[in-house]
Amino acid sequence: MTAAFRILNSLPAFWLVLSLPALALIRGYWTGDIIAMDMLHPTGEFSARLMIIAMIISPLITIFGNRGWTGWLLRRRRSFGVAAFGYGMLHLIFYIIDMEALGPILAEFWAPGIWTGWAALLLFVPLAITSNNVSMRWLKQRWKLLQRLVYGAALMTLAHWLLIHDGMAGALVHFIPLLVLQLLRMIIIYGREKKNIAQVDSPQSNLA
Amino acid sequence: MKYPVITVSLAAATMALGFSAPAQATGKMKCEAGPESGWVSRADLEANLVNKGWKIKKSKVDGGCYEVYGTTPEGDRVEAYFHPVSMEKLLVLRRGKELFRKK
Repeated sequence: MTAAFRILNSLPAFWLVLSLPALALIRGYWTGDIIAMDMLHPTGEFSARLMIIAMIISPLITIFGNRGWTGWLLRRRRSFGVAAFGYGMLHLIFYIIDMEALGPILAEFWAPGIWTGWAALLLFVPLAITSNNVSMRWLKQRWKLLQRLVYGAALMTLAHWLLIHDGMAGALVHFIPLLVLQLLRMIIIYGREKKNIAQVDSPQSNLA
Repeated sequence: MKYPVITVSLAAATMALGFSAPAQATGKMKCEAGPESGWVSRADLEANLVNKGWKIKKSKVDGGCYEVYGTTPEGDRVEAYFHPVSMEKLLVLRRGKELFRKK
């Protein structure tokens, strides 16, 4: 039981779970059930969704504190982030397959719904490259700074989704929870800092 | 046993959401073309366009018009709207940019 539990709860098992939608989609493409054009929406959506999950882990820890499940999520944050990049690359590959040639890709490059997608993916590249322990050690404090590029990638992803897709519901369903949790996190951090400042400013007030 | 259950339900929920794409009118174009029984078939429209040099990825109904995704004879990758009875070209868009609109 414990051995089986450990295997099920291991990171490799988790990577396998994260890759299941991709495998199902690629299988659909392979068998001819899904055309390249129709691979774009699900691969893009999974990429955005996994990025958002990676991004809400910090807010959840701020809100709920260090608990078993937040720690569990935190240990998988890199997996979520790298998987988001993986689905983003799949998204790009099927875009290229769908467009067939360089000419049409360049012709629409500056459409607002297109360049925002390229920008999001470009911002994701340094994040994915440095998502390993060696990079973390090498970059030290700069690593955290670098990883903040994800906020730019998120904004570009949101713009890309809103502009390229008919209807805003899908994008909003995904991004509103992220926005709410980030806001809540900022409010909580601001509140704590204010409390600390107040205590430093007037330590007697605690005795009153 | 809690965490694997979370892992699996998380994956299941994301997968379930991933494949839900409701088909609704986009409002880009509207055709008042009467009952569908009087329409030319999508296959006929596609064949007609292929004859004119189009390459078709797929087609569907949107706002009572036929909406076609493909490449024009000029080589533009577009979505285009056609009247489902007259097969007249109504609107051609490239990622939201209007390349043609029937006057």
